[in-house]
Order: sequence, then structure tokens, then C-alpha cells
Amino acid sequence: MTARSNDHPLKVDGLTKRYGNRTVIDNLTFTVEPGKVTGFLGPNGSGKSTTMKVLLDLASADHGTTTIGGRRYRDLPNPASTVGVVLEPNAFHPGRTGRDHLCIIAQATGQPRRRVDESLSIAGLDPDAAKRRVGTYSLGMKQRLSLAAALLGDPPVLVLDEPANGLDPQGIRDLRDLLRARAANGDTVLVSSHLLTEVQHLVDDVIVIADGRLVTTGTIDELTGKSAHVRTPCPARLAELLLAAGATAQQTAGDRLVVTGLDLDKIGDTAHRGGLAIHELAPNAGSLEDVFLALTAQPSQKGN
Amino acid sequence: MNSTDLLRSELRKLTTTRMPLSFLAVLTVLAAINGTAVAIGTDMDGSKTFISTAADQISLFAFAGNALMIAGLFGAIAAAREFGHNTVIATYLAAPRRSKALLAQMTAIGLGGAVLGLAGAGLTIGAVAISLPMTNYGFLASLGEVAQVLVASSFAGAAGAILGGGIGNVIRNTGGAVTAAVVTLIIAPPLIIQLASGTASWVPSALALVVSGVADTTGVVSAILAIASWAAVPALLALWSIHRQDIV
Repeated sequence: MTARSNDHPLKVDGLTKRYGNRTVIDNLTFTVEPGKVTGFLGPNGSGKSTTMKVLLDLASADHGTTTIGGRRYRDLPNPASTVGVVLEPNAFHPGRTGRDHLCIIAQATGQPRRRVDESLSIAGLDPDAAKRRVGTYSLGMKQRLSLAAALLGDPPVLVLDEPANGLDPQGIRDLRDLLRARAANGDTVLVSSHLLTEVQHLVDDVIVIADGRLVTTGTIDELTGKSAHVRTPCPARLAELLLAAGATAQQTAGDRLVVTGLDLDKIGDTAHRGGLAIHELAPNAGSLEDVFLALTAQPSQKGN
Repeated sequence: MNSTDLLRSELRKLTTTRMPLSFLAVLTVLAAINGTAVAIGTDMDGSKTFISTAADQISLFAFAGNALMIAGLFGAIAAAREFGHNTVIATYLAAPRRSKALLAQMTAIGLGGAVLGLAGAGLTIGAVAISLPMTNYGFLASLGEVAQVLVASSFAGAAGAILGGGIGNVIRNTGGAVTAAVVTLIIAPPLIIQLASGTASWVPSALALVVSGVADTTGVVSAILAIASWAAVPALLALWSIHRQDIV
């Protein structure tokens, strides 16, 4: 596969979105680069889906801008051929066949009919199953149909909200291979997911948000390298000291803490100054989940 | 995407579910009731004077009022279910210029309503025509009168569907949209007439009789414009709503 020229970075700049008095996205800024798979992570209700909806002009921003290749979604010459989208897990009429669903989208976006079959094949949905009404589909089959719809226009940008939800292990592997191939081809891929173990194997970069605010961005290696695993007989006291030193500490089990925001030397120094014993201090490589939980912990949880 | 592609896509949406067949089934039942009434029904005095003249028979054929109401429900369901099933997302991803997408949808719904109106009138005329030989009366309506009934019913169906479609896009909930369509087309008009008797000629059912050639309480052109206005108000509200509110 030859990498195609892709000038479609996704940019979110100072985005704020309110529903009534509730601010669901608060001055959010990040960039998603082409040629990579970027994970968009955050707890439920953190604003991931809303950010995607604003990016795709399905919802309006109260402040800030979102662009795809420097243009708003609505200003793209052929948006559906530029951006493939999986947004809602169940955006189908249950009485319509999967094939008809794709034909309707292909018709609206000016795609040739052959793309329907090609997309079904790429998404791994059996042609016979595509002739059945969507109401009879499993969640995994619906996800594959959503993915087929997103790929109809062979777009250089993919924006996928929880695309692995409901997929079986083979489906998850297929999805992973597909997205990695698209990124290797130079495509821009933004994936939100709560399946952190999957994300860890899939993405190059990570954007973490909580309460509508940006928490951190970086590569997976940077992110996991930012945290440390600490074992101490006094986890609560050490967490207080680390919190005072500007770190975030999350007690994960018994005498264990995941610490972010301080390097290993400073964690050791802080414990030493507090007169606390440390039984283990190591970079927390390999657990995106621990880092994610530490980064997105509610204020009341921080320092536990 | 262009407007023709969008329109064809919207028409495909309407024809790939069972909803149109359900409405055709309702129209068939209504026609069968009319045919049965002609075959075995009588006036209070036991006679069949209700089919004894061409004007009487045209009154039976005149389906425009029913077409307005039935197509109104069709339009309300067709538009509101797009939000209920979230299929509206694909629509506005394909056409982020929202007025273009809405225009395609309303055109498709209007065409669907016109077909329902035409089918309703055609089935009714057919059922009555089949039943008349069982009576002492023949088919008395002229070709021109039948044509006017068919055209009027198609027009009323289109207008009703656009009215319902506008309501569906504003309410965005199938149950709520159907309720609002029923209130607008069935419940509110008699109440409006009670409050202001001068409006009696301008409610949808009265206007439908005029365009069908059954009544002459207003001119036909005025009635056409008035029916179009009934449809235009919800359609314009939908246009405002679709621009003002988030899609999802």
C-alpha cells in the first residue's frame, strides 16, 4: 500500500461547549496528526463524543474552532469522502437491511454502488448478513456496519467513537489491523475508546480529557513513562506529600500508588524528606489503565 | 453530494422500510369501507340517494381531506424517526449545509405524501366503482371530475406530508410529532372555528373539499394557497430549528 498525501490534521482550538449552564467542554485545544492513530480518552461524560460532534458540525461550539485540514467540516468540498465517521452505536433504522443502509449513504454522498460491497468486505460483514434487517444484528455486526459506512468514501480521515464496542476478539484484531494500515497509509485516525488495553495496542498518540478539559497529550510511551509505581507501607501519607509536591497519586491497591507528575528521583526524595519507607519505586511501564485512572481521577480521589 | 443524489437517497429511505406499505394498507382498508358502504349501506329512509347523483359520488370520492391527515402522520413519522433512530447523523454528515439536506428530505416526504394521496383517492374511486353495479346506480362522475379529485388528493397528500415532516423535524420525537400532527390537523381546527367562526372556510378539511370540487366556500386558487400555507409554516419552523439546534 502506497502512502497517500494527506493534509488533513484535525485541530481543536479553544473549544468550549455549554448545554444550558453546564459546561461540557472547557477551552479544549489539541491537534491530531496524519499518519498516526490517536486515542481520545476520558471517563464517561468527559466530553469526547461532544467534541467529535462539534468537529463534524453536528453540534455548534459556544467558543473556539474545529478544523479538518484547515477547514470547517461544512466547508470541505466533499465531507463524506474526506471524513469517515462512527459516532452513535445504533444509528440505523431496525427495519432496513444493512445493505440498504449503506446504499442510502452511498447515494447521498455520490459514491458508486461498488463501494458498498467493497466496504462490507473491508469491515468484515458477511454479504448475506447485509441483506438482513439491522434489527436482527448483534452489537458487533452493527459496529461492523458502522465501520463499513465510515469507509464508503475511502476517506483520508477517520473519526471513530468507541468502534471496538461489542466486537469479538477477532473483530477487535481486524479493527486494529485496519486502523494501523490506514495510519501507515498516511491517514488521520482519531479513536475514542474506554477499552484501554486495546487502545494501548492500537494507538500512537493519546489525548486525555476529563470534565471537558485537556488533561494530557503525548505518545503512549511518554504517557506511561510519566507515571511511576510506588509501594510503601504509608500510601496515604506519601500521597499527601506527593500531592503537595505537585504530583497526582492514585492508590490502586493496598500499599501501592500510581504517581504522575514527578520523576522517580523526586518521588524518592519526597518520601525520604517525609521519613517514609519505600519498598518499591519503578517506572509504570505497561499500564495505560493505571495512568489513565490517575490522570482522570476526580479531585476528591486525588491524593487518596 | 448534489441535490439529486440527496433526493434519491431520501426517497430510498422511504421505500426501504415497511412504513409506506403500512400506510397503503390503511388506505386499502378505508377504500374497502367506502366500497362496502356503497354496496350495502343506505340512507336513513332505506334509499341510496347518497350515490344517486354525480355530485354525491364525487363527495364520496373526494379523498383530499383524508389525504391531508394521513399524509400528515406519514410525514411526521418519516421525519421524526430519523432523529429517533439517529439516522439523521448520516444525513447531515453527507450534507452539512443543513438547508440542502432538509430540502431534499421534505421534497421526498412531499412526493411520498402525494403518492399516498393519489393512491388513497384511486383506491376509493376503484372500490366505489366496483360496488356501484351492486346498486341501481351507475358511475356518474365525469372524467374531468375524477381527475380533479385525484389531483386534489395528490396535492393535499403532498401538503399534509410536508406539514407533518416540518412538525417531525421540530419535535424530533415520533410520538410527540404524531400527537402534534393530530392536534394540528384534527383537534385544533374545530376549536379554532368555535373561537372564530369566520375561519371555517380556511381549515384544512374545508379547503380540501374546495380543491376537490365538492365545495365552493372559497376559490380553488385561494384554497390551494391556503393549504400550501398550512404546510409552509411547520416547514419553515423546521428550517429554523435545524439551523438553530444541534443535530445530536
